[in-house]
Parts: sequence; structure tokens; C-alpha cells
Amino acid sequence: MLTQRRKLAWPVVALAAFCCVVLFAGFFAPYDFATQDRDTPFAPPTAIHFVDAGGTFHIRPFVYGPGDSGQSAESSAQGSDQPYPLRWFVLGAPYKIACVFTSRAHLFGVARPARIFLMGSDGYGRDQLSRFLYGSQISLLAGLIAAILSVAIGILAGGIAGYYGGWIDELLMRGGELFLALPWLYLLFAVRAALPLHISQWQVFLLLISVMGLIGWARPARLIRGVVLSAKERNFVLAARGFGASDAYLLRRHVLPQTYAVLLTQITLLIPQYVLAEVTLTFLGLGVGEPMPSWGALLSSLQQYSVLSSYWWMFLPALLLIPLFVVFYAAADALQELHKSVPL
Amino acid sequence: MNPGPRSNGSQLEPLLRVSGLGKQYLQRRPFSHTKIAVDAFQDVSLTIFPGKTLAVVGESGAGKSSLARCIALLEPATNGTVELAGTNLAALSGKELFSMRREVQLIFQDPSSALNPRLTACEIIAEPLLIQGEGTKSQRRARALQLMEQVGLDPAWERKRPLEFSGGQRQRVAIARALALGPHLLILDEALANLDAANQTLILKLLAELQAAHSLSFLHISHDLRLVSEFADEVAVMRLGRIVEWKSTRNLFASPEHSYTRELLASVRSVQSILLERSA
Repeated sequence: MLTQRRKLAWPVVALAAFCCVVLFAGFFAPYDFATQDRDTPFAPPTAIHFVDAGGTFHIRPFVYGPGDSGQSAESSAQGSDQPYPLRWFVLGAPYKIACVFTSRAHLFGVARPARIFLMGSDGYGRDQLSRFLYGSQISLLAGLIAAILSVAIGILAGGIAGYYGGWIDELLMRGGELFLALPWLYLLFAVRAALPLHISQWQVFLLLISVMGLIGWARPARLIRGVVLSAKERNFVLAARGFGASDAYLLRRHVLPQTYAVLLTQITLLIPQYVLAEVTLTFLGLGVGEPMPSWGALLSSLQQYSVLSSYWWMFLPALLLIPLFVVFYAAADALQELHKSVPL
Repeated sequence: MNPGPRSNGSQLEPLLRVSGLGKQYLQRRPFSHTKIAVDAFQDVSLTIFPGKTLAVVGESGAGKSSLARCIALLEPATNGTVELAGTNLAALSGKELFSMRREVQLIFQDPSSALNPRLTACEIIAEPLLIQGEGTKSQRRARALQLMEQVGLDPAWERKRPLEFSGGQRQRVAIARALALGPHLLILDEALANLDAANQTLILKLLAELQAAHSLSFLHISHDLRLVSEFADEVAVMRLGRIVEWKSTRNLFASPEHSYTRELLASVRSVQSILLERSA
């Protein structure tokens, strides 16, 4: 039990840390996600230096200003390249914390006219790191909403099917199979097509996420049905029935709590799946629209062959998703182990 | 059908009268839609008088547990009637049945599966009161603590969960829970089978005390004739879903009629003689 808890610790800590960063994206991001800079389209990740052209070592890292960046390294004879030191806790573009408080504090930044693009910039000169952090809010929210929706319907359908059995069970499970057989991507195309063209980005987004969550209920429902089938046969359920307990009471107090561990694991597994679904949808232009960033929006510029072949840093958001998903799956795995080790 | 012993307490109204009770399970054949009926037990008639103990003894598969569940109102019987304190249970409305459940409680064989591992001892013992809508939360807790004391559990353990108790203590929690609603009939479905010998004796002693204090009747279901003989007023021997012999305990030991009863008694005696030989 203890070792399982310890095993659970690192994915949970990593997830919590990432969520913190994403929650306070405005603070960790050096720039606003929508601010364009036409002078620096597709700028590569900014190099951070400790040693200047003259060979002097600086304790405070610095970047080179515009105009001479890039050339400066090679043509060190040029005297005009000016270092701009990296500063911690600077004031910059205003942003909202929790949609209420306005702040201008940023974790790091450089003085104008220098720019710092740790992950490069996109075609409009927008900082990719800032867009990635703000985009994480939307993509993770999408994953979370969809996962909670499908698990919520799953627990309802699976709980009822497993508990009552008989024709209700048959009906719900055959219905679930129908949903499993749905080609969901094309269904979403149809849903988007059925919507009016001009509705707000947020409405489209929430609607598509909801549809995604709603059609994904069958898998969690099957899982929960299985747990409920064995849970309802336990003697303490029978004993409570002997005291005159109603079905609602039995489900709430004795049967469904036995499914919580499975549910938690299921949500942890579903979030990355739905995040990927958001990425796919937005990549195809169905999800979040400009100027709102999301992981799908960040990657959608890769549709252009010139971007794909010339600007390698545009792949960075996709690379960053890998460790994140690994953490999610590790957390799901650890939760499953923990749930196995709880004796019932 | 064996009429059973009528000698003791003949003037009293019986607490429980079971007549012609039967239970059939429908079992589906594999790879087929036809169902076959399997009799768990059939044509069982029993009476229990207030404050008395009736033991039902038989091998596993004899239908004892199904009988216990039918009498405890956990499963409907296929035919026959169960009368509790003169009321035919089949004729009751849902609401009347709900309050009739206070009268009869079942104690399971395996206390660890009969107690929800997520709940505390206090919550478990107070649960019947909660379900029957009795008292406020603090009243229910006070009653639970009182019951814990009655069954020999330290009330300071109220926040412990079933897994933190030993097997004997868990069975005490289950007994406390069964007593919460003040039943008149307790059904012990192999309630001692999972305990070691020392705990069996302790729980038997506790049950005897409770019987005297609350004038409880027990229906004690067991495969262990030796164990119930120390405890029961009457013994009914069950075989293949039928009661083959039903007598007062002394009569059964003195003059067993059915061949199966003799076999059971012989096995008890052989165990006793082996033990005697060893100690000699």
C-alpha cells in the first residue's frame, strides 16, 4: 500500500506542477498569446548567452537584440550587437488571474526592443511558448470536460445496467455498442455542418467538446457495469437490503463507491484521449479558432508544407505533449495499482 | 412431514411459522435459451417459539442458506408461507414489509464481506437505524456505541474500519448491527464457521447472553452438529433440500431415526473418540 502510494507520487506531483503552470499561464508566459510582431515571423528559438562576443562571462544570462541576432555569433567583429540581460519578475503585457484580477507581472522577460522566444515564434511573430501555455488551458479543459461528461454518463448508464440487469441492461449495452461503432470524427463534421456558420468560437468549442464527451460514454459504462455486477452481490449490500434500504440508497452508499477507483483511473486515461481529439479537430479547423491558442491550433500551421520543412521549432508543441501524456498514463497506471491493492 | 417436537411451550404462539416453503432457481443451460428449474429446498415447515433456538443442520448444498435468505426476506420464496408473530409476510404491503424487516435479522457466515470496508464501525452499526429513519444522527451514534458495548467491543473503536478488526471482532460488529433494530428473530447463517474455536465459544457465550437479555429467538444454520448441540433447543436435519428429521436436541442425540442423522452423529462421535484417544 505504501509503495503504491509512493509510486503514485511522482506522476501526481508532475501533473500538479504542470496544472499550476497552466493555471497561471499569464505569469509564466512572457507575452500575450495574441500580440503579433510582424518583424519577427517564424523566429527560431532565441539563444540565451552567458559569454558575449568579447569573451567576457556574464553571471546574468542575456540575449541579443533585433537586427543583429543571428549574424552576431558569426560576425563578432560587428560592434553594434547589444546584449539585453534576461530579467526575472518583470512587468509586461497585462493578463487576468482567474478571470478576475489583472496583473502585469511575468516570471521573466527582456527589455524592448529585444524579444525572447524560447520556443520560437509563429508566422505572425507571436511567441510560441506563451501560446503553448495559454493553449494548454483550453486543451486540458477540453479534455477534462469531455472526460468528465463521458464518465458521468458512463456511471449512470453502467450503474443502472449493472444494478437492474434484465432488459434494461440489454437495452443500454446494445445502445452502447451502437455508440462504440460510430465513426465519431465524421459525426463531429456533421454536427459542425449542422450548426450555423456564424456562432461564437466558444459556443462551437463547448458544443463539440460536449458531443465528444457524450458519444464516448459506452466504454466507461461497460467498465462500471462490470464493477457494479460484482459489487451488488456483496453481502453488505444484501444486508442493507435486509434492513429495508431502497435501490437509490444501495447504489449511492454501497455499490457506486466501489466503482470510484475505476472511475478515477478511467478519467485519467480519457483526458489524454480527448486532448488528442481536440488537437485533431482543431488541426482540421473544427475546434478552437484564431486568435485563441490551443494545442491543435499551434500544430495546425504544420499543414503548410513550407512550415513543415523549414521551421523545425513548430514541432515543439507536439514533442511537449509526449511527456505530458506519459505522465497521465503513469498516473492512471499507479491509480490502478492502488485500487488493486485496496482489499475489498 | 415430520410434525416436530411440540412438547415445549405449546401454549405460546410461535414467533416464526414456516409451512411448505420452497425455492426454485431458474438456471439457463449453456448455449441454449431453455431454462431448467433447480430446487434449492422444498416443502420446508418449521416453527420457532419466542426465546428458543432452532438449529438447521445439513451438508453444504442442502439448501440451508437459501432457506435463511427466504426467511430473512432477502429473497422471495417460490411457494409456501412464512408467518412472523402471526402475520403472513406474503400478504404484507411494501410499507408493512419495510417495518416488518425490523423483526428478523440475518448474520452472515463471512463477516468481512458482510461489512462495507469503507464505513466505520459506528456507521455500520447505525446503518439499520439510518435506513429505517430512526432518530437523529447523534441519537443513532449513541445507540451504536451502546450496542458496541453490549457485544463486547470498546466504544472507543467507533472510527475503526472492518479491516482493522479481527475476525471475531468483525462478527461482533455484525451482531451489533443486527441487534440495532431490536429484532425478535436472529438468523445465524453459519455465523461461527469462519471463526477459530476460542472465538466460537466466546461468540456463542455472547449470543446466549443476548438471548437471555432480549428474549431473542435464533435460527441457527450450520453444518456443524457438534457446535449447535451445545446451543440449540431443537435440531432440524436437512438433506437435499428437505427436512428429514426435526427433534429436540436431546431426543435427536438419544434416538436418531433417519439414516443421514445417524451418519452425522457417528461422525461427531468419531471425532470425539479420536480426541479422547489422543488425550488418553
